[in-house]
Amino acid sequence: MNKPLTEIAGYTNWRKKLILMLLVGSLSILGVSLICLNFGVVSINPKDIISLLLNGTQDKTKNLIIWQLRAPRIALGVITGAALSTVGGAFQGILRNPLADPYILGVSAGAALGACIGIALQHVTGYLFASYLPLFAFIGAMLSLYLVYKSSKISYSANSTGLLLAGVAITFLFSALITILLAISRKELQSMVFWLMGDLSAANWKKISIITLPAIIGCLLLFFSSLDLNALSLGEEEALHLGINTGKLRIRIFLIGSIIIASVVSFTGLIGFVGLVIPHIARLLVGPDHRIMLPASAFLGGIFLILCDVLARTVIAPTEIPIGAITAIVGAPLFIYLLRRKNK
Amino acid sequence: MKFYKRSILILTLLFLILSSLLSFSFAGASNYPLTIIDDTGTAVTIPQEPQRIISTAPSNTEILFDLGLQEKIVGITNYCNFPEETKNIEKIGEISPLNFEKIISLNPDLILAYAGFQLKEIPRLRELGLNTIVLEPLTLEDTFKSVEMIANVCGISDKGSLLVDNLTQRINIIKPKVSKIPISARPKIFVGGTFETIFTPGAGTLFNELITLAGGQNIAAGLSFWKKISPEFVAQAEPDIIIVPVGAMNQGEESKIKSNISQRSGWSNIPAIKNQKIFIVNEDLFYRAVPRLIDGLELLYGIFYE
Amino acid sequence: MADNNNILTLKGVHFSYNDNQEILSDINFHLPKGELLGIIGPNGSGKTTLLKVISGILKPKKGEISLLNQNLNKLPIEQIAKFISLVPQDTWVTFNFKAKEVVFMGRLPYISRIKGETIEDYQISREAMKKTHSLSLSENNIQEISGGERQRVFMAKALAQTPQLLLLDEFTSHLDLNYKYEMLNLLKKALKEEGLTIISVFHDLNLASIASHRLLLLNEGKIEKIGAPQEVLTKEIIQKAYGVKPILINHPDLKVPQVIM
Repeated sequence: MNKPLTEIAGYTNWRKKLILMLLVGSLSILGVSLICLNFGVVSINPKDIISLLLNGTQDKTKNLIIWQLRAPRIALGVITGAALSTVGGAFQGILRNPLADPYILGVSAGAALGACIGIALQHVTGYLFASYLPLFAFIGAMLSLYLVYKSSKISYSANSTGLLLAGVAITFLFSALITILLAISRKELQSMVFWLMGDLSAANWKKISIITLPAIIGCLLLFFSSLDLNALSLGEEEALHLGINTGKLRIRIFLIGSIIIASVVSFTGLIGFVGLVIPHIARLLVGPDHRIMLPASAFLGGIFLILCDVLARTVIAPTEIPIGAITAIVGAPLFIYLLRRKNK
Repeated sequence: MKFYKRSILILTLLFLILSSLLSFSFAGASNYPLTIIDDTGTAVTIPQEPQRIISTAPSNTEILFDLGLQEKIVGITNYCNFPEETKNIEKIGEISPLNFEKIISLNPDLILAYAGFQLKEIPRLRELGLNTIVLEPLTLEDTFKSVEMIANVCGISDKGSLLVDNLTQRINIIKPKVSKIPISARPKIFVGGTFETIFTPGAGTLFNELITLAGGQNIAAGLSFWKKISPEFVAQAEPDIIIVPVGAMNQGEESKIKSNISQRSGWSNIPAIKNQKIFIVNEDLFYRAVPRLIDGLELLYGIFYE
Repeated sequence: MADNNNILTLKGVHFSYNDNQEILSDINFHLPKGELLGIIGPNGSGKTTLLKVISGILKPKKGEISLLNQNLNKLPIEQIAKFISLVPQDTWVTFNFKAKEVVFMGRLPYISRIKGETIEDYQISREAMKKTHSLSLSENNIQEISGGERQRVFMAKALAQTPQLLLLDEFTSHLDLNYKYEMLNLLKKALKEEGLTIISVFHDLNLASIASHRLLLLNEGKIEKIGAPQEVLTKEIIQKAYGVKPILINHPDLKVPQVIM
């Protein structure tokens, strides 16, 4: 009796499935990235890119555009898409809520407030602060993380409601502060709004070097909690009966996820929808087992975001559409379609 | 009989002299009431010479000063910062939303307003019975028209025409010089670079107009108004000169700004950076529809060709 | 005080969620190994709460619980999970796992997060599904099967956890008649062959009477009576707890009391 390669004792051999997915995922990302390198303000066709990759080129400008501008932009897109999707999936797991996204626990509002304050200060006190904008955003994110953590311990420590409520409350609070800041800012308004909508165009290799390690390590740590997340989806008490310390699990995922998001969002602004929709697509394709679904989300998220970015920078070039708008325009119908398929 | 004819002659002369004297004295007063059509297409009637003027836009404030009307200003916004004397004038607060209570409390008889994002405040001003003239200068020509309209409304049209003539003369010094330069020799200009997110002025903006007048080629001339562009666009356009408009508070940051731009990823092959042709300019000379625009024009010409 | 035949001992256990109302008062009993203890009582008497206190997820305000001569509340929950498993009345699973994946989760207390599971874990899960007649549901999605089917799957999961003490919360409520008795037989078999000890909350007095070695009647958080079915299911006691005067007959085969309305 020949059992399929991915089955063992009647159960899916998740390790084999994971390896298969890692291969397919990595190749896809590489392939899609190469394709995306073609697109931009300047049209560079595949032949040029291949010759560029192989032996550099005489056209110094093209060289610079590919290596210093487009390549880091795509790399940032992959890391951001992967991070948002993984954290989105993990948060959906600990909150037992398929509508959760990586921003629901407040960290993004903190980053946004920090960035807006940073932008306001740029105009008020001078140019000096420009390169420190991500630092402002990160500090804001850590502040909101601290507030959410403290608030959630006060009440409902027994289940995810407390964490969710604290996250939502802090998000509202910070959003209100951001609204005030937007209202009193004349010159900086446009910059702030664009930051809030998300932007990959300011990517460079230095930034990539800063966020890659926290993002990758963080996502790996989340992957290791997969079994616990599986159990948590049976119910809070069910998970406790299986010996899982749900309180600790929640805080752990919340902290790791929030730090990943803070690191990424500080550089890219708030790109929405990716963290909400991609985990659902991953579940549809590979099933809800977090051991496979979280890595799948990472790959799918990376691919999705760089494809959206291509649209953002080519549809009405050279003007760029904010990437948050593209992910929503593409993501919302996709999400609705998925919901309808699920309910059939 | 002779005496009769003579008296009629004298009476007629007297009458002529008197009436011409009278008409001269009424001449000043007969300018008003004055009706003009402002930039929103609304007919506004000014009953008499304005004595208490509120300006709700920095450009209007500057023009009032340029026309020598500063004594008549009773209120300006927080952003009206030029010239220095504006410090001493009472402030009415924000450009939008307007503080109507403050405006009314100053008892103005004329409000010089702006369109743009202030447009939604205008109906309220008119409802409150305040004489409001809305200006929306988008080009250099519009700016001159604004100067003339304000001068006209305030009863000093001569001064207005004089000012416009002066400015036009200065333009006419540069124009012929520029027309002699072939397009291929005109430098490519990029405006922006203060912040990481790049906003640059395209066609329809004052900046673009000035660049073109001064003999430059704006790399964003194909875009309309202010747009956000990617660093890739700038790299590909390979501008010869980078103009960085900064506000008053950024003076003193010049070297930092220049080095940040020079070190930006992917821009090392841009001529402006290779030849270190990065110039910091006062943004107020380019963003406001005021006579100072000509200062900006001359500054640009100096940068491009001297 | 080591009582080696008792798997569980409760001494002076009180429980309340807040300081106002006590849900459980002065609970004392022993549970010998291999026994099936049925917990009965009117709604709101605290049956489910008692079960949760026994399983360790609720901590008593006063008193002590010993599990195999160790203080239950001092044990880490990973340890407790290797001894005790619980079949809930019903539960909502957030994500659409397959039934066999749900059953497999019963092995989690034994699976190292670093090394992962072994073939044995898979085999134990399969066996558990066989025992509860849920093997045919293996590939079905847990959100899409009926209440009764789900109950059998969760029973399998609890058995896959290879507990020494199995707790059940009204596990027959959604089951058809034939499954009710099949599950009971399965439990009795597990008692004998695997040395399992069982506490089950029953809503149905007759079923409780048939299934249990002893009954514990809970009334308003206190133990009304604990003992053999004949001792507990008497006219006076039932009237006191439920407020109705029952008609009692003896089960023709099993000789235990049955209540007739």
